[in-house]
Amino acid sequence: MIKNAFSKTQIDRLGDRLKGGSHTESDLRLLDDYRRSFGEAYEAVVRTLRQRGEVPTGRLAKSTVSIAEKLRRESIRLSQMQDIAGCRIVVGNVVEQEQLVASLKTDFPGATLIDRRDNPSFGYRAIHVIAVISGKPIEIQVRSSLQHMWAEVSEKSSDVLDPTIKYGGGSDVWRNFLTVTSESVAACEELEKEGNAFYERVKKTVAELAAHEELEKKANAIYETAKKADAALPELHEFGHELQELRASLEGLKGDLEGHEQVNQETRRKLVRLRNVIADLLSRAISDLDKLKGEKQ
Amino acid sequence: MIFLIEYNRSQGRIVTFRDFDDSQRREAEDARLGIELDLNRKGIDHEVVLLEAASKDALHRTHQRYFADLTGLLKSAGGQNEWAGRWEEKGSGVDSR
Repeated sequence: MIKNAFSKTQIDRLGDRLKGGSHTESDLRLLDDYRRSFGEAYEAVVRTLRQRGEVPTGRLAKSTVSIAEKLRRESIRLSQMQDIAGCRIVVGNVVEQEQLVASLKTDFPGATLIDRRDNPSFGYRAIHVIAVISGKPIEIQVRSSLQHMWAEVSEKSSDVLDPTIKYGGGSDVWRNFLTVTSESVAACEELEKEGNAFYERVKKTVAELAAHEELEKKANAIYETAKKADAALPELHEFGHELQELRASLEGLKGDLEGHEQVNQETRRKLVRLRNVIADLLSRAISDLDKLKGEKQ
Repeated sequence: MIFLIEYNRSQGRIVTFRDFDDSQRREAEDARLGIELDLNRKGIDHEVVLLEAASKDALHRTHQRYFADLTGLLKSAGGQNEWAGRWEEKGSGVDSR
């Protein structure tokens, strides 16, 4: 059965014994229980990271040697240590690193960010995100590939050359090498960021240009239409003139037609009168003829 | 996968390497404690760590320090970065053992 509840005093006293190198077997068992109590929080963090497609390498428990060294090196108490359990993610470059860290801030609200890029720890540059799950801190180390390579070299040289190298010690030659290379990595990554910012600006400009080209196409189409209309203006003017003449002609024709109608009606009236006259004449002639026939008989 | 590593820092080499399935976490933790207790009895100061990675390759990528020697690490860095390559050409002047 893993013990999950530990008093702060109990843990800090254990830390004191580890720091002094006077720890017993039961201390190691207590430390083991304490480390295992971070298991659920660790699982929750790693699960979240995997769900977002990251491939972290988890460190289920910080080694006893590393814990003891940290307690000796820093004024920290064991109960305050934030990297008992954690994981590491190595991304391609500093731009990806910043994007990932921004996402982690959303995934783990209230997480603490330790950005060791602007203020490197003896040349060590990385971002550490401390997510707290159910009161247990879990450290997520986010390194760019360059920062990671530097850290690997620094750690390995601390292992095999001088344990103090990692914390600013060691020979002048090696310390100078680590300092210069760390600064080179920083400069390289600054360029990476500038390059990325430039790329983003270019991408934005290209998008703006594309939008502009679309507008230009529309403007050209309008211009072409206007140009065609402009070319057609004299013809239209001529046409308008002809139209006016035609209208005038039509008006004249209309007048003529109206005149003709009047003439026609007058003619018809004359014709009717003429027919009536003729009818009278015929009627009178027939009457006169009948009279003559009667006189002869 | 879970990997149990016992590492001799001063020699820069792995002493014990074991892997476990993800379902064997408890066994891995017990094995880690067993090694620590044993080392403590013998007075040996080795680093004993449990790491969890998608594969052994993934573990090598994020924790090269356990697997490569310093020269190998510098060569690896030099292969990808001009700064390390230049340093190697000049020579570090330090014996990495």
